[in-house]
Amino acid sequence: MPKKFIPGLAAAANAAVQADVDVISSYPIRPYTGLMIQLSQAVANGDLDAEFVHGEGEHGQLAIVHGASLAGARTMTGSSGVGVTYPMEVYSPISGDRCPVQMVIADRTLDPPGDFGQEHTDALSTKDQGWLLGWASLPQEVYDNTLIYYRVGEDPKVLLPQMNCHDGYFVSHIANWVNIGEQSQVDEFLPPYKAQRPLDPLRPVGHGPQIYANQGPALEATRFNAIWGAREVIQQAVKEYNEIFKRDVDPFVELYHMDDAEIAIFIQGCHAHTCKYAIDDLRKEGVKIGMVRPKWIRPFPSPEVAEALSKCKAVGVVETNNSFGASGYAGQLTPEVCAALVKGAVKVDKVPQVASFMAGLGGHPVKIEQFKFMAEILAKGAKGQFDKPTYWVDLECEVEM
Amino acid sequence: MAKVNRPKLELAKSIAKVPDVARSEYYVKGHRTCAGCGPAIAYRLACKAAGKNSIFFGPTGCMYVANTSYLCVPWAVPWTHTQITDAGAVASGVAAAYEAMIRKGKYKGDYPGIVVFAGDGGSIDIGLQAMSAAMYRDHDFLFICYDNEAYANTGIQTSPTTPYGANTSFTPPGPVIPEAKKLFPKDAAKLVSEGHPSARFVATASIGYPVDYINKVRKALNAEGATFLHVHAPCPKGWRFDADKTIEIAKLAVETGMFSLWEKEGMTAPYKITYMPKKMKPVKEYMALQERFAHLKPEHIVKMQNFVNAKCAGLGIEAPTPPVA
Amino acid sequence: MFDTKKLQVPIPAHLEIPEGGVVESPKPDGEQDQFPSGGWRILRSVIDQERCTKCLTCWLACPEPCIELAEDRSVSIDLKYCKGCGCCANVCPVQCISRVPESDFKGDVEFMDEPF
Repeated sequence: MPKKFIPGLAAAANAAVQADVDVISSYPIRPYTGLMIQLSQAVANGDLDAEFVHGEGEHGQLAIVHGASLAGARTMTGSSGVGVTYPMEVYSPISGDRCPVQMVIADRTLDPPGDFGQEHTDALSTKDQGWLLGWASLPQEVYDNTLIYYRVGEDPKVLLPQMNCHDGYFVSHIANWVNIGEQSQVDEFLPPYKAQRPLDPLRPVGHGPQIYANQGPALEATRFNAIWGAREVIQQAVKEYNEIFKRDVDPFVELYHMDDAEIAIFIQGCHAHTCKYAIDDLRKEGVKIGMVRPKWIRPFPSPEVAEALSKCKAVGVVETNNSFGASGYAGQLTPEVCAALVKGAVKVDKVPQVASFMAGLGGHPVKIEQFKFMAEILAKGAKGQFDKPTYWVDLECEVEM
Repeated sequence: MAKVNRPKLELAKSIAKVPDVARSEYYVKGHRTCAGCGPAIAYRLACKAAGKNSIFFGPTGCMYVANTSYLCVPWAVPWTHTQITDAGAVASGVAAAYEAMIRKGKYKGDYPGIVVFAGDGGSIDIGLQAMSAAMYRDHDFLFICYDNEAYANTGIQTSPTTPYGANTSFTPPGPVIPEAKKLFPKDAAKLVSEGHPSARFVATASIGYPVDYINKVRKALNAEGATFLHVHAPCPKGWRFDADKTIEIAKLAVETGMFSLWEKEGMTAPYKITYMPKKMKPVKEYMALQERFAHLKPEHIVKMQNFVNAKCAGLGIEAPTPPVA
Repeated sequence: MFDTKKLQVPIPAHLEIPEGGVVESPKPDGEQDQFPSGGWRILRSVIDQERCTKCLTCWLACPEPCIELAEDRSVSIDLKYCKGCGCCANVCPVQCISRVPESDFKGDVEFMDEPF
């Protein structure tokens, strides 16, 4: 199939149609709404045979796909911003019920006040609820992730819901080239969803009775085991994806110039690509700088992150999200990176200095000058210590929009 | 709508005829509901009426916690817990899934009877949004509100169906509020029947009139689309009466006009009263049997009687005896 | 690189729980014998079979349900589960069900060894 020049939401819609989704629940909120507009058109045109259910709100959306998945259907829903935090109640029930629903999230800042720009706080705030969670950085990756996430989430060894996230506007709405697979390739890669114990009068079961307190740990440990066991499935699924679609997708992290990097930037999402341009410039000047881009936040790719960053003297974690009052830092990713590097959890000989860079908040793009500003700070940190744990790059290095 | 045949369920003409059309129990013994629990009676009869080809949904509440403690279920049909907020939405998802899976050839069985069994809170308070949306979207399912007039499982707190004047742990009587509860209740079934064009069968029922109730469940399931049933289910613990009086109180509610039995086949259809007591009784007879009303003064009883008179008039029912001023 | 396989938590056999907390449904007309609720009973309902008219009103009134319906439409109470609520006695049109203190009957029904 020839490449298509399409934005991220269209890429997700394309993949959903090819994945033969059965039930979709919609509700409008900027900027992900376009996904649902495309899917409703696909259903109306007969390109996709699915029930397109108009949810009464985002909480309803999630509950609808929860039910549909319990019945054995492959489902898709999505949202942005406060639409992601509103259904918070149902995320754990869906995960605990082992329903592999997929939620496509085009990030948006959380209120207050109204801000149509994008931040990752919306989906990151749900990371403890037991979903597979990761960010695409380009429309191509949105397409890939839609298929890979179904494959991993629906695997009988995993059976977990997935949040397929990407930057609102930058990825959701800006077009880029996407290799769309042939239907036969999709069919080969993604088998139909087979629910283990669906709600079916022919095989009655009860889902979710009350449990004794002492049964709680066992139930929760099985979910813990499932999400860490997903790593093997991710590895296998990406290998098959690359073979079938003739691609070269990284399973856990994207590394850029990390082989001999002394300082590194850890960044997820689309601004990583701007970062690469800054790195190219800096490398010409002889700066030994590299970039690590995580493809997953849950399960966190600790081994790959630790291996890549442990060789560095200083690491800057770009945070396009908030965590008010977190110890020393102001974002949710820095503590995860630090935990991956702490001696004892992982065998790391010398733990690098870690600083946090608040950048892109409110929906700013992050510019090359700002990455160079971060690199200067990293260079100083590599020599000894950062003078503070968190740098608000948006405020300390203002650039013209 | 899935173009698939669903075997129609037969109605019963009398209690004597019930075993001929609905013999088996799909809600079985060995559960921790209170002795004399009205909602348990309602659940048992709903499951009996719905039969084997059904899926039930239990939002959090007495009929979830008391029935499934611990790691067990009394339903011989597939059942799932839902959040108290979202039974309507989860059932919608299951309904949509079966439409899609049957149409796409991914499921070979019959379209199941999809039945939500939600408390008053899970129906028209915290569950209102999901319930209303499910009715509006015309999913082929039945939403049953079992009404024990409180959030009972958490220790009897007021809900939007708690009657005026009732003592609950969020509406205790005291010198500042002598009537305990000042607000009058929402009318669950009217709320649905007056504003949802797709609600093609809406009815009220009572465990005091079990054959009428069983038949209404079946009529609702036989109608292909969104249907709603409001079943009155007295609660000995919450309303404070002896456990053996559950059915007696349920009947008295109907005989005093506190609860009326009707059905309506669509938003613009007329209300059809399905049981009219020969002689209506004054509400104070009903309230005298329940300690939750024991603190009320005569002026409060008058207010209740006036409310009930107006409610009955609205349905075209002869008003019970007016209060003595 | 650390081996995430080592993160797998072993679950002791006696705490094992079905995946996702999904349990088998009982059979129709069956019972949940892990909770014989008859242990709650203070008053036992006793049916006078001679006066019973087999109207089935009590059968439909039972919340458990623990009133067994025989082929000849006679009814009997399953004492393993009957909580003694008395609804059957209350609704009987001919009042042929009496409620007798459970303590009058010594040891004729087996319950659980320990209270739940």
